Amino acid sequence: MVSEPSMAVDLGGIKMRNPINTASGTFGYGWQFEGFFDVSCLGAITTKGCSAEPWDGNPAPRMAEVTSGIMNSVGLQNPGIRAFVEQDGEYLSGLRERGCQVICQVAGHSIDEYVRAVELYGELAPFASGLELNISCPNVSQGGAAMGATPKAAAEVMRAVRGRTNLPVVVKMAPHDVPEIARALEAEGADALSLINTIPAMAINVHTRRSRLSRPTAGLSGPAVHPIAVRMVWEAHRVVSIPICGIGGVTSGEDAAELILAGATSVSVGTANLVDPTSAPRILGELEDWVREQGATDVNELIGAVEC
Amino acid sequence: MLPSSDVRQFAFDVASNERVGDGIFRMVMHAPGLAPILSPGQFVNVAVPGDPSHITRIPLSFAGTDPKAQTIEIVYAVVGEGTARLSRMGEGDASTVLGPCGKGWRLDDVSGPALLVAGGVGAPPVLAAARGLLARGIPFDVVLGAQTAGKLWGVGLAKSLGAGRVVVTTDDGTAGIKGFTTVAVEQMQGERDYADVLTCGPQPMMAGVARLALADGSSCQVSMERMMTCGFGACNTCNVAMAAGGYKACCTDGPVFDAREVAW
Repeated sequence: MVSEPSMAVDLGGIKMRNPINTASGTFGYGWQFEGFFDVSCLGAITTKGCSAEPWDGNPAPRMAEVTSGIMNSVGLQNPGIRAFVEQDGEYLSGLRERGCQVICQVAGHSIDEYVRAVELYGELAPFASGLELNISCPNVSQGGAAMGATPKAAAEVMRAVRGRTNLPVVVKMAPHDVPEIARALEAEGADALSLINTIPAMAINVHTRRSRLSRPTAGLSGPAVHPIAVRMVWEAHRVVSIPICGIGGVTSGEDAAELILAGATSVSVGTANLVDPTSAPRILGELEDWVREQGATDVNELIGAVEC
Repeated sequence: MLPSSDVRQFAFDVASNERVGDGIFRMVMHAPGLAPILSPGQFVNVAVPGDPSHITRIPLSFAGTDPKAQTIEIVYAVVGEGTARLSRMGEGDASTVLGPCGKGWRLDDVSGPALLVAGGVGAPPVLAAARGLLARGIPFDVVLGAQTAGKLWGVGLAKSLGAGRVVVTTDDGTAGIKGFTTVAVEQMQGERDYADVLTCGPQPMMAGVARLALADGSSCQVSMERMMTCGFGACNTCNVAMAAGGYKACCTDGPVFDAREVAW
């Protein structure tokens, strides 16, 4: 009998039964998918970003389909952490008990807002296995760049929240200056990195000469960004020793395998959830097949195992 | 109580798919399990195969269902690459569909007589409401508007569903009254007291219909359309601005809203 390979991974202290996670903003708060499959089969889910206070998000239209992807400008609409916990806490506690880790995403416009949000999660969300600090949303900047746009700015946010929580902190990175920002975050005590966030992009309706979304630019995701994500995970993996959650256009087990070979410890399924809500468990199955086919007894043997 | 979603994924195959007007198609999809649980005004989110470079599903309302035959009748306009691909699906072609999506017409709140107002491919969900009113014995009239006669669909169906009057408008005057549906609505309001107005169509049209309905003391339900991705509340891309501030999700809070809720 062929023994089953071990699929368990450790994302900076978040002990996942397998490497498959979900990208924040593409998986609601988890329960929306229970009608499609048993969500607890996943290693983790990452919940929609929440801030200390509710955010309205951006006007419509917030989505445009482009070749091999979508662009969104949701702008982190969320009910605030209190309402989130009230509405979804019981479900998420149960999910955690069923063996799936729950990573809660933290949103903020300023260092103070990140700190308040981290503290609120600590007070109100005992179901959280870890926090994902979103310092790279391209749709919430108010005239300036995202909070994590430079190594210095990213480090400042990380430094401010590090002392405020004992939970593992994963930092969601923007798709630029990856080695520099990754090093800065590791130096400030980040437990793990997740990348990439959506890529700032633009789509124009040539008939009306207007942006196809309510803002001039929006975040591109889906298969179109996948090779860029693979490259950036590889770049980050070469310069830091903390684990990485690879994200970007994963629609198959092979896509997930590429990110793992490039250096990812876990892999998030994102846009694919919105297209085929059963994507994540299918990708998990395909990934297991690949690990077996590689003759590995443990998926950890394959992390960063690309031969360039 | 734990939050939950009713939306599931179903397999479907095409029973028929035919052109019924200028750029207007009618598909009957055989979707066992889904057809009997759909309510008028809800929608389905269809994966259209054939082009992996276009990844999103197409959210579509329906004109009716046949629970015995397990079929759903969808009438749609070809407006882009995705609906063009949908129009090329032939009998027996198979894919998947998500549903039942959203909250449909609140027909139990309709006392009648009701005025149903549709613009363009707003006609299918409006005629789905007509079926529901027929079943409840509530009298109704119908206004069907289109850009031009060739794009008009549903006149025969509206009559067969027992509408008291069916009034047609076209922007170019090639059928019925020349002008927008609001012209017909104003005329008909002068002739009959409507307790309820239900409308689906382009947003400016619905805004006009809602204004007339509310000014006349009618209740008004509107079925909104948005760029939509998942269709089941996971992505927050289909927001509708509310009069009270903030947004609601077209896919889970709607697509049918009380006209007074919406920030027009």
